[in-house]
Amino acid sequence: MKLSPPQTGILLIAPSILLIGALLVYPVFYGVWLSFFKKHSFFAEQQFVGLANYVYLLQNPEFWMSVWYGTVYSVSTIVLQIVIGVIAALIVNESFQGRNLVRGVILFPYVIPTVVAIILWKWLLNNQFGLVNYLLRAVGVIEDPVSWMGKDHIMTSLIMISVWEFFPFVVLSVLARMQTIPPTLYKAAQVDGAGPIRRFIHVTLPQLRNVLFVVILLRSIWMFTKFDTVWLLTQGGGAEKYIRTLPVYAYMRTFMYYQAGLGSTLAVIMFVILLVTTSIYFKMFRREEEI
Amino acid sequence: MKGENNFFSFRGQLIYGCAAILTVLVAFPFLWMIATSFKPLNEIFVFPPRLLPQDFTLANFERLFDQTRFLTYFKNSLFVSFATVVLTILIGSAGAYSLTRFKFYGREKIASLILFTYMFAPIMIIIPFYVLIKKMGLANTHLALIMAYTAFCLPFSLWLLRAFFQSIPLTLEKAALIDGAGRIQAVIYVILPLALPGIIATSIFTFILAWNDYIFVRVLITSDELKTLSVGIADLYNATVIDWGMIMSGGMLITVPVLIFFIFVQRYLIAGWGAGGMKG
Repeated sequence: MKLSPPQTGILLIAPSILLIGALLVYPVFYGVWLSFFKKHSFFAEQQFVGLANYVYLLQNPEFWMSVWYGTVYSVSTIVLQIVIGVIAALIVNESFQGRNLVRGVILFPYVIPTVVAIILWKWLLNNQFGLVNYLLRAVGVIEDPVSWMGKDHIMTSLIMISVWEFFPFVVLSVLARMQTIPPTLYKAAQVDGAGPIRRFIHVTLPQLRNVLFVVILLRSIWMFTKFDTVWLLTQGGGAEKYIRTLPVYAYMRTFMYYQAGLGSTLAVIMFVILLVTTSIYFKMFRREEEI
Repeated sequence: MKGENNFFSFRGQLIYGCAAILTVLVAFPFLWMIATSFKPLNEIFVFPPRLLPQDFTLANFERLFDQTRFLTYFKNSLFVSFATVVLTILIGSAGAYSLTRFKFYGREKIASLILFTYMFAPIMIIIPFYVLIKKMGLANTHLALIMAYTAFCLPFSLWLLRAFFQSIPLTLEKAALIDGAGRIQAVIYVILPLALPGIIATSIFTFILAWNDYIFVRVLITSDELKTLSVGIADLYNATVIDWGMIMSGGMLITVPVLIFFIFVQRYLIAGWGAGGMKG
């Protein structure tokens, strides 16, 4: 039997569709289904409870705190990543000795396992023996060691570590686009008497618009749903409560309190928040030629 | 384009200064980790701290190998990551080839659905995924991990490979077919060599995702002897007394080989970046 071209095409894409469908798309729907049940994480029995999980969460101050922490965390890390990432891209877009080395090294924080980033920074930020406290005291910025993993500073530490870990994504994406900006545009702006800052605002930024649209979209989704960085930082600190973002809260409910139904409800709520915010974002900023 | 910036101009100094600060902020934590991993215990906690070990030692590494299952974790990570790469590349290349070379009903819809799933994050599906894996009796197996990673890597792999396949002109394949080659021969001798940079880039991104993952291992694996590095190292930290020297030596061993590897494959990585290869 000989297959027609469309049949061969479908046969070749079928394994991808099956895997993505069964292991990514179906779980989303199954999660919605589970969110209407009271279900233990380990045992099979489940009990239909309708919207009770949603009602419980919306009345629960713990839930609203995690919405708040999640928002603080994602908004501040996204803004800082984008600003620092664009500045860093501008720097490594210049030509200087050792540029390729710097470009390679900038990638490091992003490609290492998150667990390594966390143990590294926990050691650097250790309140007794950490290098950061030592340096800050040596320079005279602080007098007493700062408890970076304590409740007052853990959110700041988390944001700093996350920006350090994820800004390379912005650098690489933006740099790739910067390299395609025609130099004649800068020449023309220079002839018109524009200084470096005006050249950045009137030439570089408009050219980066599309790539920034995509980068902000992706980073927002992934920061809002970031689990491992936040979770690993909470280990062994005691200030876990003060950075309990939505993903961490969903994980705790499911794998520490064994409430898989409630955990699924939280995942569904995250999904809905993301769908709503990204569609607003698309409405506000999307232009026809994009993506 | 532009000439090299002169170190003696104000602009040049500004650029060199910024580049130096950037490099130190990014690289110094790694140097500190490497230095700590070679220090004896009394030097790790010495005050004021010194960068270089005075009394170079391998004791931290010895404790890591004697007291933990580091080598087992390492083997597990390698196995799971390589299996994921092989599976993803096989399935993904077939899919991307189909998306670029065959016309069939719903092709564009499939492509945009795949792009949509690229944005999924593990936490959004981990709970139902876990329940399903348990039902299938696959909890606590490497197969469950490989399935999860392959599913997560497929969307960006398909997208990346599709971009690379699209850049290969159809006429080359047609020429091979006219010369009497079968389609399979045309793919092996014409398409694959040209798509190789794309396949390498995709493999690297897939490998990174599988090698670095924490949440799927944490949730799906319960036996110590099946754990991979991320969870293995994280659990060292959760011990009652934190052995910083041992943890840093573990961190160094799982990071430095990968970073050295990256320096060699950097150009593929950057080539893939433009097409949207990374996630997380």
